[in-house]
Amino acid sequence: MSENVFDRRKFLQLLAAATASVGAFNLVGCGGGGNAGGGGGGGGGGATDTVIYAQGAEPRALDPALFDDGESAKPSFCIYESLYRYGDRDASVHPCLALELPDISADGLIYTIKLREGVKFHDGTDFDAEAVKASVERQLAPNLTEDMPYATFVFGEEAAGIGVKTVEAIDPYTVKFTMRTPSASFLKNLAMCIAAPIVSPSALDAHKNDLSEAPCGTGPYKFVSWTKSDNVKLEAFEDYWDTANKPKTKNVVFKVIPENATRVTALLNGEVDIIDGVDVSMADQIKGAGYNLFAEDGMTINYMAFNTNSGVCTDQEVRQALAMAVNVNELVTTLYGEYATPANTVMPIWMAPYDKDIPFSPFDPAKAKETLAAKGITKLSCLTYSNPRPYNTKNGQVLAETIQGYFAAAGVTMSITPFDWTTYKSKLQTDEYDICFYGWTGDNGDPDNFMNLLADSNWAMNVARFNDADYKALIKKGLETNEGPARDAVYKQCEELVAEKRPWLTISHSKNLCGLNPKIKNFFYHPTGVALMRDVSKDA
Amino acid sequence: MADTKLTANPTLDGVALKKNTEKHESILKDVWEGVYSNKAAFVSLCFIILLAVIAIVTKLFPQVLPYDPNLQNLSQALLPPSLEHWCGTDQQGRDILTRILTGTQISLTVGFAAVAISLVTGVLLGSIAGYRGGATDTIIMRCMDMMLAIPSILLAIAIMAALGKGVEKAVIAIGLVAIPEYARIVRSEILSIKESDYVAAARIIGDTDFQIILRHILPNVLPSIIVRATLGVSMAILDTAALGFLGLGVQPPLAEWGDMLGRGRADIFRAPWLMTFPGLAIMLTVLAFNLLGNGIRDGLDPKTRKR
Amino acid sequence: MLKYILKRILMVIPVLLGVSVIIFLITRVLAPDPAPVVLGEHATQEAMAAWRVEHGLADPIWLQFVNFIGNAVQGDLGTSYYTHQPVTREIAARFPATAELAICAIIVAALIGIALGVIAAVRKNKAADHASMLVALVGVSMPIFWSGILLIILFAGILHVLPSNGRVAPMLEPSGGTRFFIIDTLMSGDMEAFRDVLRHLILPTLALSLYSMAIITRMTRSSMLDTLNEDYIRTARAKGLKQRVVNIRHALRNAMLPVSTVIGLQFGSLLGGALLTETVFSWPGIGKFAVDSVLKSDFPVVQGVVLLVAVIFVFMNLAVDIIYAFLDPKIKYGNKEEG
Repeated sequence: MSENVFDRRKFLQLLAAATASVGAFNLVGCGGGGNAGGGGGGGGGGATDTVIYAQGAEPRALDPALFDDGESAKPSFCIYESLYRYGDRDASVHPCLALELPDISADGLIYTIKLREGVKFHDGTDFDAEAVKASVERQLAPNLTEDMPYATFVFGEEAAGIGVKTVEAIDPYTVKFTMRTPSASFLKNLAMCIAAPIVSPSALDAHKNDLSEAPCGTGPYKFVSWTKSDNVKLEAFEDYWDTANKPKTKNVVFKVIPENATRVTALLNGEVDIIDGVDVSMADQIKGAGYNLFAEDGMTINYMAFNTNSGVCTDQEVRQALAMAVNVNELVTTLYGEYATPANTVMPIWMAPYDKDIPFSPFDPAKAKETLAAKGITKLSCLTYSNPRPYNTKNGQVLAETIQGYFAAAGVTMSITPFDWTTYKSKLQTDEYDICFYGWTGDNGDPDNFMNLLADSNWAMNVARFNDADYKALIKKGLETNEGPARDAVYKQCEELVAEKRPWLTISHSKNLCGLNPKIKNFFYHPTGVALMRDVSKDA
Repeated sequence: MADTKLTANPTLDGVALKKNTEKHESILKDVWEGVYSNKAAFVSLCFIILLAVIAIVTKLFPQVLPYDPNLQNLSQALLPPSLEHWCGTDQQGRDILTRILTGTQISLTVGFAAVAISLVTGVLLGSIAGYRGGATDTIIMRCMDMMLAIPSILLAIAIMAALGKGVEKAVIAIGLVAIPEYARIVRSEILSIKESDYVAAARIIGDTDFQIILRHILPNVLPSIIVRATLGVSMAILDTAALGFLGLGVQPPLAEWGDMLGRGRADIFRAPWLMTFPGLAIMLTVLAFNLLGNGIRDGLDPKTRKR
Repeated sequence: MLKYILKRILMVIPVLLGVSVIIFLITRVLAPDPAPVVLGEHATQEAMAAWRVEHGLADPIWLQFVNFIGNAVQGDLGTSYYTHQPVTREIAARFPATAELAICAIIVAALIGIALGVIAAVRKNKAADHASMLVALVGVSMPIFWSGILLIILFAGILHVLPSNGRVAPMLEPSGGTRFFIIDTLMSGDMEAFRDVLRHLILPTLALSLYSMAIITRMTRSSMLDTLNEDYIRTARAKGLKQRVVNIRHALRNAMLPVSTVIGLQFGSLLGGALLTETVFSWPGIGKFAVDSVLKSDFPVVQGVVLLVAVIFVFMNLAVDIIYAFLDPKIKYGNKEEG
């Protein structure tokens, strides 16, 4: 039986070799980093020098003019700064690279802005008025390209007769913006981390007007490397101008982990320190493992829209009756638990013109059934999306199916046609439907950013296809009114009008959920979808 | 995922198939003997028949199911396995066992329909190529090579991305990508027998090409095709599940195993049953088709029977 | 012989051309209009029309194809709709990750597969044979994404001994070099990073190799059984050579011919399997990139990845055929029959 001996021995040798090598790695892993990830690389005492932030998708580009996605915004927010910034915890506007709030002419057309001196870009270039001019002008006609998705939103365009007409450097530390029309939201736009940040003009020259893979700003962190599909590494910038707020951690890494469950596993496995986009269903798991859960209101609205342009929902009473059939409070609690707030109105709770007195859509199934029967409504068609969205961490389909149940109780059968998000957006423009589901994540903390959706002529934005002269007039007035109580009053009227005419049934405002290693200190996820990593530190 | 060339050349796998046309009536008998004498293959066959019965019954008489597979009940969401819900419930409170049972409809439909597409097209193209030879052969087989050059799952994903979700589209995508394998098997079989005496004899009698292919050649090709088709069903089921997992499979709320598994990922720790049971369902079904395929191959392989 | 090889190499050209036709058909002709997807939520109809013109999508379809091929030949696969970067560069940045994983997987699959196959053949119909065959059967029956997730749950989620995703802890990542991290970390002598790279490789390699391992096991077993029955083996045994020597020197060596073919071919399927493995393990390679791009309708990237994988696959086949031609004197060159 010599053959048996041979084979078994060979097999055992192989097996032993295989397990030994695996074992060795494990041993080293445990000894080295204290956890599986190895994390900090150093693993020594004191505060660690590295914080790893895991997000759900790869950044699109790291040039502020060239992206429109939240995943690019997060690292970019560490690298770049704008003339203005939002408050650390709210959407109020503060000077950043500007020295003070702008001097606005009486007609609202001229913005004169004094700039901070002694600020350096990461490449050593000095920050001055010419840098501002270059950063803005590349996003104005004729330099504007369609790779700049937010340029017209922030700086306007000639065709629409809005936005910035010229930007001039009056002296090295003063810039002057001349507007085509007054715009109350322009100042808020200048604080956006999408499109508005100031980039190094010499870097623009060196990289042919495209900093997506060679970002260079004035922010607390400078760019080190970008491993595609994996991570973006940043390092504290020694010459950061704001000496009182120097970055607390040397290295910040933004890591891409698309799968929600894997991101949580990576956090609990010690591979990463901060994760965002936590699914509601995993919140308890994070807390249960002794990790911290960050949950704060976001700048979102999750809504159901009625097609006011064609079909049975053109009738306002039908819309009101259908809204009445849905128990929004119960719906939100069941679907999102404590991680979303039922929405009485479009505007998120923490935004200035939010009014808690706008009435919720009443829940009255009996009356809904009566009205719908009287109107002869028995069937509805509905389009929805099948992916989770920031404002709806379940997905549109789950939401639609839940509402389908409420409608069934009111004697109405709703057929649901779900599409993946990208297909869905084009279907909304072309297909017929009675009801659809959508949502919005705010860009700049300005009420116009939410309320003008219902005045937009593009059906991809205005999915209720709402076309109401009164409403449009209010939106126009809002843009022309200067920030203050008068402007808030205009938007309150808008909100009341939405509650009355019911183009939307507002459902919820979601909370932003992040998971944190308990050693992480001073983390705050800003409602605009970015985190100020400058203040974050991690205990050893 | 599908292994393309290995099975395309059965002689590599130790299978020397019988080339004797007089005995082609006995193929079915051989198949049956192979399966019957092989315990694992026989159990697998029973399991597959059971799945087919489940698929048909749940399709025709959905009332036999204890729960509606697509009706949500949020108050029942994410219940662990219990006496009422043997496999637990999903995020929308739907009974997982019920959904797995109805999921057999899609898995088997896609499995069989996709194989039917690749089988019919592949056999047709392969016979034409092998029998006609010359330029026809070159053109057809080069086309097959081109399709083989793209990994099947990648090709299927690209097709699904272009066509959009849906059962019928999955069938087309998965069916298309397997055509070349059948074409190659059939062609090489035909090449090896086309010059044989009995084909020559048939030609002398005056049989048309079509008759010759149908009467004399196809019966000889049948054994390897049967084996490949059985294994093909298992590959098609795996591919369907992969598409479902990537979110490119069926339109919700249809129950499909890969899709259920993919959705269950978000809850792997809180509700592990969400992905455990669909995963088991996929594995057992694929295993059954593989075992059955092996059994049939052994039955048709004189060498194996000798040993 | 030389004629055969030349002919075989020339045959690659029409195959690659055909592959481009297939890819083009799927991503340009069958696929939906990318304009609304690419231009995003603020786009108007006019902007979309202008975008189509600028990207040549308004041209007649044959012209689009000619342009596509013309550019592809020059190494220009277009620009990603999403990142606006050249597709070639985006793919080049991710390809080493996939290649490293696939090479590790094929090595593991070959080593374990051959070992199991030999054991199974030599101990035919004994427990070791049945066990090996069971492993092989489960290997081909388990969905690759399922086994991957199970591995993550066990080793990262419960035991906390191995990382759940990625190639290396970010701060240990080697900069520059070949982007094959095993090589890079070894060259720089950073053993901590090297071990971390290996630790990250274990689970994805295991998940990815399972299927090929199963195929190779089966192949080795049947090939070994065939050779063990050959006359010269019987002669060798009869001559009194030790069983073990016969097994290794003669049987295994001869059985390796078809096995090596299968290994070569499996490398191509591995690249397909990498698609799913990379998705499960957040592995920053071209497979995950392709899936992401499909979901984003970033068709230039999809075209590029499929084309690249097809090219690799075609050249692997070519290499296998040529090596086979050298190794196997029985092949008749110029014969129409496939080898």
